[in-house]
Amino acid sequence: MQAGALNKRRFSSVLSTEWPLYLFLAPAVVVTILFAYLPMFSNIIAFMDYNIMAGWMGLASPWAGFKNFTKMFHDEQFWPLVWRTFYYSVVRLVTGQPAPFILALLINEVRNRLFKRTVQTIFYLPHFVSWVTIASLAYWFLTTDTSGVLNNVRQVLGAQNRIIYMKFPSNFPWVLAITGIIKEAGWGTIIYLAAISGVDAQLYEAAKIDGAGRWKQFVHVTFPSILPTTVILLIFSFGGLFASNFDQIYNLQNPMIKYDTNTINVYVYYTGVQSGKYSAAAALGLFQGVINATIMLGVNWFAKKVSGHGFF
Amino acid sequence: MSTHSQPMKRLKGLAIKRSVGELIFDNLNILLMVAFAFMTLYPFWYILILSLNEGKDTTMGGIWFWPRKFSLDNYAFVILNPIVINAYKITILRTVSGSLLTLLVCGLAAYALTKHALPGRNFVITMFIIPMFIGGSIVSYYVVFAKLGMLNRFWVYIIPGCFSFFQMIIMRTFMYTIPPSLEESAKIDGAGYFRIFMRIIVPLSMPIVATTLLFSAVGHWLDFYTNMVFVGKRSLMTLQYLLWLVVRAQQGSLNALTEEKAMGTGNQGLLRQQVTPESIRMATIMVVTLPILFIYPFLQRYFVKGVLIGSVKE
Repeated sequence: MQAGALNKRRFSSVLSTEWPLYLFLAPAVVVTILFAYLPMFSNIIAFMDYNIMAGWMGLASPWAGFKNFTKMFHDEQFWPLVWRTFYYSVVRLVTGQPAPFILALLINEVRNRLFKRTVQTIFYLPHFVSWVTIASLAYWFLTTDTSGVLNNVRQVLGAQNRIIYMKFPSNFPWVLAITGIIKEAGWGTIIYLAAISGVDAQLYEAAKIDGAGRWKQFVHVTFPSILPTTVILLIFSFGGLFASNFDQIYNLQNPMIKYDTNTINVYVYYTGVQSGKYSAAAALGLFQGVINATIMLGVNWFAKKVSGHGFF
Repeated sequence: MSTHSQPMKRLKGLAIKRSVGELIFDNLNILLMVAFAFMTLYPFWYILILSLNEGKDTTMGGIWFWPRKFSLDNYAFVILNPIVINAYKITILRTVSGSLLTLLVCGLAAYALTKHALPGRNFVITMFIIPMFIGGSIVSYYVVFAKLGMLNRFWVYIIPGCFSFFQMIIMRTFMYTIPPSLEESAKIDGAGYFRIFMRIIVPLSMPIVATTLLFSAVGHWLDFYTNMVFVGKRSLMTLQYLLWLVVRAQQGSLNALTEEKAMGTGNQGLLRQQVTPESIRMATIMVVTLPILFIYPFLQRYFVKGVLIGSVKE
């Protein structure tokens, strides 16, 4: 009613009463323009020979057309970077998606309330710790120092040598997978556990009366009930197929394997910010950004089609 | 009586009596839970006991579950270090001011966007959505921040990230549940939007206000990226970046903790005694990580609630 009236009024008269609402929006709008749109537009430095000192914002830099991109495609680092970004994302998806699902189902089967609550608290804990800390813990697990847990365990079991685990890039996906599971699997169970607890108790009662044991109750009641949630989360997770987790990778790298474990965004940081090759890095960053946006739009479209829900 | 008790008994029997298979599963399941809990906790425990052990003694190895030579020297070195104290100050300052600012910016925008008839509303929402799909890479942010004069300033910690579309939507979803009649009667009493927001919307949105503050605070506390990329000034160093410098960046040296400023405090004497760079690193991990690990279990249920409020929209 009031809404309709508001619509018909002229903008100037709307402004006279509703101006506080625009004022409320102003900070968010300004922040978005400055810190989302300006960086978005400064992607154009990928098409320049960017010199940060040239004119306002360096915008007087000479245009370079697609030169930076041609260079990028011919760089011998390029395809390995693309492959690794994709590969590590798949590793994260394949391990990080099922883990909370399985863990939630197992937690759900625990009967002792106190035990259940205790393990839940423990499982959620690493979510509140930074990747810096997790990487430090991982370091003392893998190091050859006298404090290296894994090597110590090996020696207790009779091994003579100590392995430099962090020397091999081939170990890196494992490190990513395991640290990823330890850090986020527990936290990820929350949404599944909520879905499970939302299942109508009468369904279980009915299943019990029909003689279903716990396995059958799981197959015929629990699983179908949480399937929609699972499917939506799975679809959304595909949005990250080409977006590697900077914090995780950057922190877990070490100088020995740095060049063989870079993903695009980590490499962009090294070349762009540390070495100051703004244009080359911006081209690579834009390349990743465009692919990511395409994937996200696709996923959003698909999720809406399948479940009626998009990202928003 | 007897006609009723028969099926009841059977139902009870079904609920309590476990078959052999179930018994095996239950025990295996508990074993699995314990194993995963051990995997999660042991790394923290291990570093904790090593940080509480005499540094020189630790290098001999063979410590698994308990300190061998208990010592607080490592902590004395870390906690009394002025660089650590300053990093604590900066981190607390940015966490408090940053999460309050996020709350304010997101809350105000969320309230304004509950008004469906507001002209330009859809334009603004679209404007907020587009950056979720495509943004700049780290280089573009670096260039923009450099040109806006935000490098090496405290503001870079709290302003660029203070508006989160996702957080705003969650707040808005919550605000929709506030009965509009409350607002209308306040309007009739002559209250303007400012007064309505402060006196009605905020008090009735306390659960979502708390959630926003908590999540934002955790984000600020754990962020090391902003510090690493945009702030090189030692006096503005945050805890996570300090930890990164101490533990990850300069393996073999403790430059981050032992630069001139720290020298005068008598720490150096300690360094020559029983502590080692290794033991100092471990103590630093604990000093940075433990506070949040102690606070979190008390706030756990609010965090869990927060996740669920957020997922309603999804």
